[in-house]
Amino acid sequence: MEAERLNAQPPATVRPRPHLEAWKVSKVYAGKRGPVEAVSSVSFSIQEGEFVSILGPSGCGKSTLMMMLAGLEPATDGVMIERGREIAGPRPEVGLVFQDATLLPWLSVIDNVLFPVRVLKRPRAQYRERALALLKMAGLADFGNHRPAQLSGGMRQRVAICRALVLDPPLLMMDEPFSALDAITRDEMNVALLDIWQQHRKTGVFITHSIREAVLLSDRILVMTRRPSSIVNDVKVPFARPRSPGIVETPAFTALCNSLRQQIEAGYAADPDNALRAQANSVATAE
Amino acid sequence: MKSATMSPEATPAPVARPRGAAAPVAFRSYRSRQFAEHVLLPTLVIVLLLVVWEVAVRALNVPENLLPAPSVIGQRIVDAWPNLVDNAIPTTLQTIESFILATVMGVVIAAVLTSFRLVNSAFYPIVVFFQLIPKVALAPLFVVWMGIGAAARIEFGVFIAFFPVVVSTMAGLRGTPADALRLCKGLGANRLQIFGLVRLPYALPHIFSGMKVAMTLAMIGVIVAEFISAQAGLGYLIVFASSQADTALILAAILFLCVIGLVLYGAVALAEKAATRLYGA
Repeated sequence: MEAERLNAQPPATVRPRPHLEAWKVSKVYAGKRGPVEAVSSVSFSIQEGEFVSILGPSGCGKSTLMMMLAGLEPATDGVMIERGREIAGPRPEVGLVFQDATLLPWLSVIDNVLFPVRVLKRPRAQYRERALALLKMAGLADFGNHRPAQLSGGMRQRVAICRALVLDPPLLMMDEPFSALDAITRDEMNVALLDIWQQHRKTGVFITHSIREAVLLSDRILVMTRRPSSIVNDVKVPFARPRSPGIVETPAFTALCNSLRQQIEAGYAADPDNALRAQANSVATAE
Repeated sequence: MKSATMSPEATPAPVARPRGAAAPVAFRSYRSRQFAEHVLLPTLVIVLLLVVWEVAVRALNVPENLLPAPSVIGQRIVDAWPNLVDNAIPTTLQTIESFILATVMGVVIAAVLTSFRLVNSAFYPIVVFFQLIPKVALAPLFVVWMGIGAAARIEFGVFIAFFPVVVSTMAGLRGTPADALRLCKGLGANRLQIFGLVRLPYALPHIFSGMKVAMTLAMIGVIVAEFISAQAGLGYLIVFASSQADTALILAAILFLCVIGLVLYGAVALAEKAATRLYGA
């Protein structure tokens, strides 16, 4: 049946099929005073080539969710599926970017970009061209032989994105990649990422607590709240691609940001019971 | 080297140069002030102290076997030069051997303890317990166990020196940024790869700080062992000279030890510098 479905679709059109699916995924930690529910029964699906932000306040479990999707943490409950296969552990087909650039300080920029190649013992020469092309795209063509300490924070994070892309993974996951940067650099990085995305079109999972960032970059936004640590809304971002950073000035952009802010504030201010009720309502309306 | 940079034709590269032609002069005078403060001043103080020592010993007529004047010690060094050098060689070599063994052992133990949680839980308390024993008190035991050969002295040096390497290497290995480990695990790196590519390089500065302590401790271990059992070495020479009430020779041997210790420590510091260039930021 699967084969039939694949054959049925014309090859050139991009008919969405899920790249990543999560079904009632939960994570419970053993805390000092009993179990702590970091993620509670989260379900969603992300299509091939879709850029999805998971937006929520800090401490709402969105990083934990990403770690589980990356296979770095087991889920306590639920099922996660990537392209029809259950996620059982880490896999190099996922490019990871963290809040800190996590470059190895003793390696040059180009060696840092090629680090995944080294770990996987693949032929370095084969990837060198690609690494250099990525650095050029990130505006770092002249910095290949620099050490990370010689770069600014924004440049380091761009190197980290190049490193995540060097193996050409179909899926890129970023955990608040720009939240350690100052506001101006952050805006620049958003524009840079928009650019990179336009050129590479991978599936993207972007964890952030910045509403503007989420709206500017994503095709869809999953809104997470703290209590419960669950997805309370799934918002489509209506802006066409390629996007110019100018859209942040439009009223539609501002309106969407405001509506998201209200949702997050509602989840933030609500006590657990109210939040539960709100979630029940949103589920009810969705059905 | 310092004076070369002070001559006008060897003006150093413009680092943070103030405006105008006065800049190099200002820079030069800054350099010479640094030289005066950090080289000239301490040297002057040492010379002054030696002069005070010399004058005081002569004026107060202190007996030579109680406290010889610096000039007497100098004379003794010249007289006993071959004897001092002969005894310095085994001490130096044994210190180096102890140091190398202690470093290798320390890093290996730390690697094992940090890699396997159960091994750590089982053995770390014992390692700490051994550290709490006043280890110099065990020196005679090493003679009983290992005899009076060089091996006993080297082993004792290792025993005294390895612990700081273990502790600092463990701290270094544990301090690897969590995201760097996640990155490796995400790529499917195995433990050995993670250790070699990430953990060990990150731990290097810590390992070197442990090594610096180990070098001085290795020397202490070897000398204490020499006090007890040796027929050669500066520790032996000190004990021998003390039986002859030859205070000048004791102090000459101690001066030798200081110089050897300084050179060995300097070698580790240089290695650290080279490693930092390779593996530092």
